[in-house]
Amino acid sequence: MSGQFHRPHAWAWFLERPGYVRFMVRELTSFFVAGYLIVLLVTLGRLGGGEAAFAEWLSALSGPGWMLAHVVALIAAVWHSITWFAAVPQAMPVYLGEKKLPAPLAAVVMGYGPWLTVTAGIVWWVLR
Amino acid sequence: MSTELTMTLEVFRYHPETDHEPRFQAYEVPYDEDWVVLDALNWIKDHVDGSLTHRWSCRMGVCGSCGMMVNGDPKLTCAVFLKDYYPRPIKVEPLVNFPVERDLVVSLDGFMDKLEAVKPYIIRDDVNDTSGGEYLQSPAELAQYKQYSMCINCMLCYAACPVAGHEDEFLGPAALALGHRYNKDSRDQGQAERLDVMLVGEAIWGCTFVGECTVVCPKHVDPAGAIQQAKAVGAQEFFKRFVAPKGAGV
Amino acid sequence: MKRSDEAFWWALFSAGGVMAALFVPAFVLVTGFLLPAGGDGAVAAERTTQFAAAVGWWPVKLALLGVLALSFVHCGHRIRHTLMDLGLRRYSGLLKVPCYGGALAATVWAALLLWRV
Ligand code: SF4
Ligand code: FES
Repeated sequence: MSGQFHRPHAWAWFLERPGYVRFMVRELTSFFVAGYLIVLLVTLGRLGGGEAAFAEWLSALSGPGWMLAHVVALIAAVWHSITWFAAVPQAMPVYLGEKKLPAPLAAVVMGYGPWLTVTAGIVWWVLR
Repeated sequence: MSTELTMTLEVFRYHPETDHEPRFQAYEVPYDEDWVVLDALNWIKDHVDGSLTHRWSCRMGVCGSCGMMVNGDPKLTCAVFLKDYYPRPIKVEPLVNFPVERDLVVSLDGFMDKLEAVKPYIIRDDVNDTSGGEYLQSPAELAQYKQYSMCINCMLCYAACPVAGHEDEFLGPAALALGHRYNKDSRDQGQAERLDVMLVGEAIWGCTFVGECTVVCPKHVDPAGAIQQAKAVGAQEFFKRFVAPKGAGV
Repeated sequence: MKRSDEAFWWALFSAGGVMAALFVPAFVLVTGFLLPAGGDGAVAAERTTQFAAAVGWWPVKLALLGVLALSFVHCGHRIRHTLMDLGLRRYSGLLKVPCYGGALAATVWAALLLWRV
């Protein structure tokens, strides 16, 4: 008497469905965001080190390597924001009586709206 | 009859008493626009190979027993039409992430245990007291959980979930959504009991919100959303302990 | 069986996810592009002054520290679970040390740096 058949697990399971690939990309944003935040700490450290140190650091950051790194970081950070706001209506549904606030509206109210406000505010402050 | 159109079904076969490994068998089936994949499987069983084993019952997407992998996607075979694949061949396999009993039939044992574990029924302290009449519920209260009560236990979500495949402790999308469904029911008082099951180990926390359960669910249950909401309830309960002493009736 | 302490980490992960979603793109724009692209002249000096003024104000410092701390835990938690999903499930407990420990260390580092600014 033989038994049940158990499918073997593929190591690269995350390639098996397009949804898995999207999931993995979303999760990997955290590696890039973490990397950026460390660089941000260095920036804050240089700021504390005085004007000359900071100016020197900024000129290093204006090099092509750092620019590219920040382009990657920006893409990862924006992708994190977009995927996070897409999940908010699922994880935190808002009920108005019997009706659920429609997902796109909830994403705007609880995600995109505050996001654009915060981003515009910060950028405005620096460019002012 | 010679002009009759046909198409190919490649079917996963596994008979434990003779096969060490599963194999694929190709069948030529009549092509009919109105046929679903299940019709073709039934035709094979009736006309070509009576030993083909598969589950089905209602043929209308309510019993949840005909779930299989169709070209790699978990589907109710009574709800996917041949015409959506014709003329390419269709590969039919048993649901992944479950042990295969025979051909297209998977074992339900683990799934049933997980469903039972979340106590999917209304729990009340006053269970024998009906003197107050029925437990009334407003449409707004019904709306809180209705979506999560539409589950037909077809297990497609388990076949779509990598965590369900890798982590035995994980209760899985349908069971967690069902637990959440009762927790959200205004007539229920059993949330604490259920959370004692759901918040243990990797039972719920194994979920990393891949979200494919919601994508494949034929009943739009959105188990992924239900699970995140249940996690949030778990987090609230965790912090409540520090605010209110145990047994304070919170 | 005892309920898992994962509820705690998940709550911080979620709060950090919100913070990172709201703030990090703007941070990258400022420190990755606006400040370095100011050149050596007056523009750069002006932007630096604005940046330093904001970061030097203690309510901003505190808020920034909060955003950074939660974002670090967010990343740590997500990195830990990604590694688990990629096959290190067995080491879920052990992974807490570098992931949450790293987040804590980064937070302490951030606090010291902000103190000095
Ligand atoms: S949640 Fe949806 S996919 Fe999962 S068992 Fe229920 S009906 Fe099927
Ligand atoms: S046969 Fe009942 S759902 Fe398909």
